[in-house]
Amino acid sequence: MKTKKIYSTWFIVPAMAVFGIFFLLPMVISLFFSMTVWDFTNFRFCGLDNFKTFFSDSSLNIAIKNTLIYAVLTCGLKLIFSFFLAVFLTSKIRTKNLLRSIVFFPNLISTIAVGITFSALMHPTKGLINQVLGGLGLKGLDWLGNTSSALYSVIFTDVWKGVGVATVIFIAGMQSIDKSYYEAASIDGATGWQQLKNITLPLCRPAMNSVIILAFIGGMRTFDLIWAMTGGGPGYATEVMASTVYKQYAAGFYGLSTAGNVIMFVMIAILAFPLQKFLLSREVD
Amino acid sequence: MKKKKVLSVLLAAVMTVGLAAGCSSNGGDGSDGGGDSGTSAKDKELSILIDTDTSIAGFEAVAALAEEKLGIKITVETRPGGSDGDNVVKTRLASGDMADLCLYNSGALLNALNPAEYFIDISDENFVAGLDDTYKSAVTVDGKVYGIPLGSTQAGGVLYSKDMYEKYNLEVPKTWDEFIANCDVLKKAGETAILGTFADSWTSQVAFLGDNYNLMAAEPNFIADLEAGEAKFTTTASALRSFEKLADTTNYYNEDYLATTYDDGCDIMANGEAGHWFMLTQALSNVYELYGDEAVNKIGVFAVPGDDAGDNGLTVWMPSSIYGNANSDKDDLIKEFMEFYVSDEALDAYTSAILPDGPYCIKDYELPDDAYEAVATEMQAYFDAGKTEVAMEFLTSVKGADCPSICQELGSGQTNAEEAAKKYDDDCAKQAAQLGLDW
Repeated sequence: MKTKKIYSTWFIVPAMAVFGIFFLLPMVISLFFSMTVWDFTNFRFCGLDNFKTFFSDSSLNIAIKNTLIYAVLTCGLKLIFSFFLAVFLTSKIRTKNLLRSIVFFPNLISTIAVGITFSALMHPTKGLINQVLGGLGLKGLDWLGNTSSALYSVIFTDVWKGVGVATVIFIAGMQSIDKSYYEAASIDGATGWQQLKNITLPLCRPAMNSVIILAFIGGMRTFDLIWAMTGGGPGYATEVMASTVYKQYAAGFYGLSTAGNVIMFVMIAILAFPLQKFLLSREVD
Repeated sequence: MKKKKVLSVLLAAVMTVGLAAGCSSNGGDGSDGGGDSGTSAKDKELSILIDTDTSIAGFEAVAALAEEKLGIKITVETRPGGSDGDNVVKTRLASGDMADLCLYNSGALLNALNPAEYFIDISDENFVAGLDDTYKSAVTVDGKVYGIPLGSTQAGGVLYSKDMYEKYNLEVPKTWDEFIANCDVLKKAGETAILGTFADSWTSQVAFLGDNYNLMAAEPNFIADLEAGEAKFTTTASALRSFEKLADTTNYYNEDYLATTYDDGCDIMANGEAGHWFMLTQALSNVYELYGDEAVNKIGVFAVPGDDAGDNGLTVWMPSSIYGNANSDKDDLIKEFMEFYVSDEALDAYTSAILPDGPYCIKDYELPDDAYEAVATEMQAYFDAGKTEVAMEFLTSVKGADCPSICQELGSGQTNAEEAAKKYDDDCAKQAAQLGLDW
């Protein structure tokens, strides 16, 4: 009885079985099918042709660029907005609980519903946004129809919807900071801004890292909101990785769309792992 | 120690079994429920999956008659149109969850569904003999017939406002240049010269696809060469011309054309607020359902003009078809309904509910006297003169799947005709690889 283990390793069998069947196995299978021409019943092995087709596709370049813009911008904006919202919502205000609920509300609505609502609001002639702007004597944009503004309109909507979750994570992080730091700082005469910069910011770093990673990965694989608002259009102006893959699937190119998914998986992994490593290395104890 | 090991394995087993039991009992409940409802409705019930863009008043009339005469009750399930709809169909077919009957495109898109696997082969049924040959070839895959037409054929051309043509003293154009000249007149007068409904991206393809008559007239061997991988849209002048025409339209659209939907478009045409609309004549039925006789007869139709004033021809679309689900256990009932659906009696019922958008695909069944003017006079003239050609998707299985996006991009001025043709060629190459063509 020299072993120190309290639990037998056999306990991981169920977890490993589930993980193997539902995660590892599909991954291996998809790797295989990404190298075939496949129509669900028959498949023909075609080597790396699918990957070649995918990389020579002009819309993929747009998609990769858009995906990165989308991920970085939504992540950055959510981070900034949610941080200040969280600071505000952890301060001594009376309607704290009500306001916290309101900030979180958009997250409870289905993404598709949000997409449909916002594309109605952003309609160039009948939409509320442009009518209000018109009433103020300003000329509104064709928010979703203009190729240069369409992506940013969707990003705005995504931030509106996603800022609530990030705020909740920040609030949790901020509440776990020991009050004595602030007391000590204010006795030493630190201003609010100094407290924020030197106490709150470094000590809620773990929360911030979660927000960054979650928002970034969420942005990289975004699909539903784009699809509901623009369908990747006009033309290919708001095409992202996931919508490109979906279109190949809808066209019946199952092998090709699987290859697209493999590419997407590798891309997210390549970007997300180093990012997480970097963030964790900067965390303070 | 031994005990612990045994215990943990036992626990694991219990959990796994529990999981499996959970799944199976759910499945069991589901199938039991389905079985019950099936038997309680006396088994004379068929379901059909239809997209929401199709006007189904005619189908409903036939279904009502079928219930009365055959005692078959039809329940309609709906799905979206466009590529989302394709996805629903493909997913439901692949997962064995398709309704008894399925409404879907004929031609190239049917081929992509792998019909031999999923649909009932009706080649040997008597009623198939009555189908028009061109139509039949559009629902035949590898020598087997699968579908019956939902309604009439339709044309893809230019719908125009007769009131506006009268007001500005315009004539139906015979060439593309005349058409553009007409658009200039309307634009100068502050009217919407061409209605764009690009929010539904499929609508942006009509100007390109509807030009097929002109392409086929100029290049009769194009299809064979395309399938052989020799002809390309980029290098064939008249094929590139189709894209150039779409590019020409960019300047004439309504201001909010990228946010206007097909449904909006029907309203706008019915109210005479736009001069032209590149559209399938199915829109006539939508307008008729919404606004009635008077509105629909203010809309005329002409073919996408070519460059030769002497040779004007119309590109025709075969109707969507009704297919029987091969995995349904109601084979005989499905065939009975199909036979009924193409009978004269059913066609009369269909026609009394909704007027046709073009000639029917049933041999010897004439257009009704009260057909829309655009169909009865303008479209019929092309048919009488033999100046029609079916759209490319009924001639070959090579159809670029991303055509809507490519056309939407071109029509909104983001690319030029050459770039669009190049993209479409690449897109066709993907389809060719899927079909196993050697390019």
